[in-house]
Amino acid sequence: MSMLGDDGLPQPAAGAETGAVAVGAMRFGDHLALAFDGDEERYAVLAAYVRDGLESNHKIIYLADQEDADAVLTRLGTAFAATGIDVDVRAAARDGLLAPRPVIEAFMASGRFDPDATVDLLGTEIDLALVQGFKGVRITGETSFSLRGWPGTERFREFEHKCQGAFQAPGTRAMAICQYDRRWFGDDQLRLLLACHDGLVRVDDLHDDGVLRIAPTFTPPGLALSGAVDESTLPALRDALAVAARRDGHLCLDLSGLAFCDTEGLRAMLDTRHAGDGMDRQLVLRAVPGYLALMLRIAGWDRLPGVFVEEAAA
Amino acid sequence: MTGGPSRPSPAPRNGEHRTSHAHLDHRALLYASAEEFREAATAYFTEGAEAGDVLVAILPTRPPTAQHAAAPDAEAAAAPDAEAGAAPDAEAAAAPGAEGVGVPVGAEAVGLPGGSGIEVVDAAAWFSSPMRALAAFHERGRTDWWRRGRLRVLAEPPWGGRSPLEIVEWKRHESLMNVVFESTPTILTCAYDLRTVPADVLEDVGRTHPAFADAAAAWSSPSYTDPADFYAECNARPLDPPPRSAEHRRFTSGQLPDLRFFLTGRAERFGVPADRRLPFVLAANEVATAVIRNGGGRGDLWIWATADELVCELADPASRVEDRFLGHLPPRLDRPAEAAMWAVRCLCHIVEIRSDDRSGTRVRLHTRLDAP
Repeated sequence: MSMLGDDGLPQPAAGAETGAVAVGAMRFGDHLALAFDGDEERYAVLAAYVRDGLESNHKIIYLADQEDADAVLTRLGTAFAATGIDVDVRAAARDGLLAPRPVIEAFMASGRFDPDATVDLLGTEIDLALVQGFKGVRITGETSFSLRGWPGTERFREFEHKCQGAFQAPGTRAMAICQYDRRWFGDDQLRLLLACHDGLVRVDDLHDDGVLRIAPTFTPPGLALSGAVDESTLPALRDALAVAARRDGHLCLDLSGLAFCDTEGLRAMLDTRHAGDGMDRQLVLRAVPGYLALMLRIAGWDRLPGVFVEEAAA
Repeated sequence: MTGGPSRPSPAPRNGEHRTSHAHLDHRALLYASAEEFREAATAYFTEGAEAGDVLVAILPTRPPTAQHAAAPDAEAAAAPDAEAGAAPDAEAAAAPGAEGVGVPVGAEAVGLPGGSGIEVVDAAAWFSSPMRALAAFHERGRTDWWRRGRLRVLAEPPWGGRSPLEIVEWKRHESLMNVVFESTPTILTCAYDLRTVPADVLEDVGRTHPAFADAAAAWSSPSYTDPADFYAECNARPLDPPPRSAEHRRFTSGQLPDLRFFLTGRAERFGVPADRRLPFVLAANEVATAVIRNGGGRGDLWIWATADELVCELADPASRVEDRFLGHLPPRLDRPAEAAMWAVRCLCHIVEIRSDDRSGTRVRLHTRLDAP
């Protein structure tokens, strides 16, 4: 997907990051990077990844670095609870469906990080799971260990590149999400590492019926709406707003992609400023298209307390 | 004409027959010469300046109409007047016309000392459509004028070149002002030039204004009509059926994306200016939504164009709405149906609603093809 540099590793393509793949749309052979700004976004993606894996009878291998296996299970359990998904992660771990393990044991057993040996090791894990009757394997790993200065980790990018080749092999029945914490990796460094993947993975849309698409956002927390809100898509919007309003704190609705919205839709959005626990919530309407700004002004709803309207650049 | 300048009853003293400030005092000023207008306007604003009122003049900013020019002393009104030379500072900003035509005729005629602080608004822009004028009054009032104190407005809507439908809707507008701004601290005086305003407009002035005024006095209008009755009267004229050439579509739940696509295309084909197409589609969509959600669930739409308008009629054969100022009262979040119709009215040039038990509801949206 990218040009190779002098070191024989892919260079980032010019221009902005291209569209990310929704985690629910991942297929075997995908080797994607999850570049997150916060744990809410991170575990929302991972919870969906694990849930889809369990539903499809995939083995899930979670290579943890910053927390132990138990803490990982707790994190995933919390993420499931937040999204209302009924998955017993501890039961899955007991049954061997979900295997959280420390990255240091998996990758540093020889005392040195070796890209080729590690790729082979992952290949063996995958083959073993398939022999055990799983229909596929989902791997996810934290990458923060590569910043610890352990022996061999300077070759981490080479490892990512080799993984990319391994997952792309025909007939692969495995996929992977590599977790990159944007707070730890420098921008340039991250761009080089991301170039060794098929692309980015993002959280699933909350709703997409071809008319209205609703995607969760995490920084800032809220929803991104694109398409049209009308009488037919209003129920989906109301549902998504109700879920989003369950969390504490401010709420941001990114309306940059909203080509059409009726007054009922607008009202549903504005009503979320009251939803929740009665805390003083600010509702931010971001990138409000011109016609919606007009509607807000017409209705006199542009100056409601607790609502901040940020118009899109003309 | 009913109860015009013939001054049928003794006048209560000007401006003092109401002590409560949070009340609309709506008067008609009928005049027959520039001098008469100037005298009344000067007295009006002088009194307001003394009372510390917020002073606003919504007056023609150019001396245009042929009738006006033909009038005997129109020149006096149009000519720069040294004595009046009070074009207040605010005026330059409020009247963005080109040089030469940006001088407010009426404002010039208001012979106030300089620095009187009258905000001058261009009547041609302000009175572009009845609903726009109503919404603008509400918007300016709530965000600016009423925050500063009692409001005193002198307004002169243009009547020349209005279609019969527009005349009806402007009369309705005059009557509605009594309802919409009833509880606001406002003195609103509407000026009518007896030489130029059409007779059928003058006929209803006394019915839409609770009082008359001139330079010296104000007195009640004996023919003043309850705005609800006047409103119903405006709705009494039946709508002609859509022309045979009109295109017809049916719509129900789930079909609005297609309907919007169709309407956008027609707006473009019939020559609706680009910046008015989405407002038109938003308006039609709101009405269709009301039919689907609150009405019979399915409706009919007809669309056609006249020489200067795109007309779109949405019909709900199965249900009736109560049009008692529907969409004319400023929107509230807790009254969504009314807020939606307020938006519809604001997004169109004129909206006609007819509703009865026999044939259901018809909402006809008029969108102008030419500028403003």
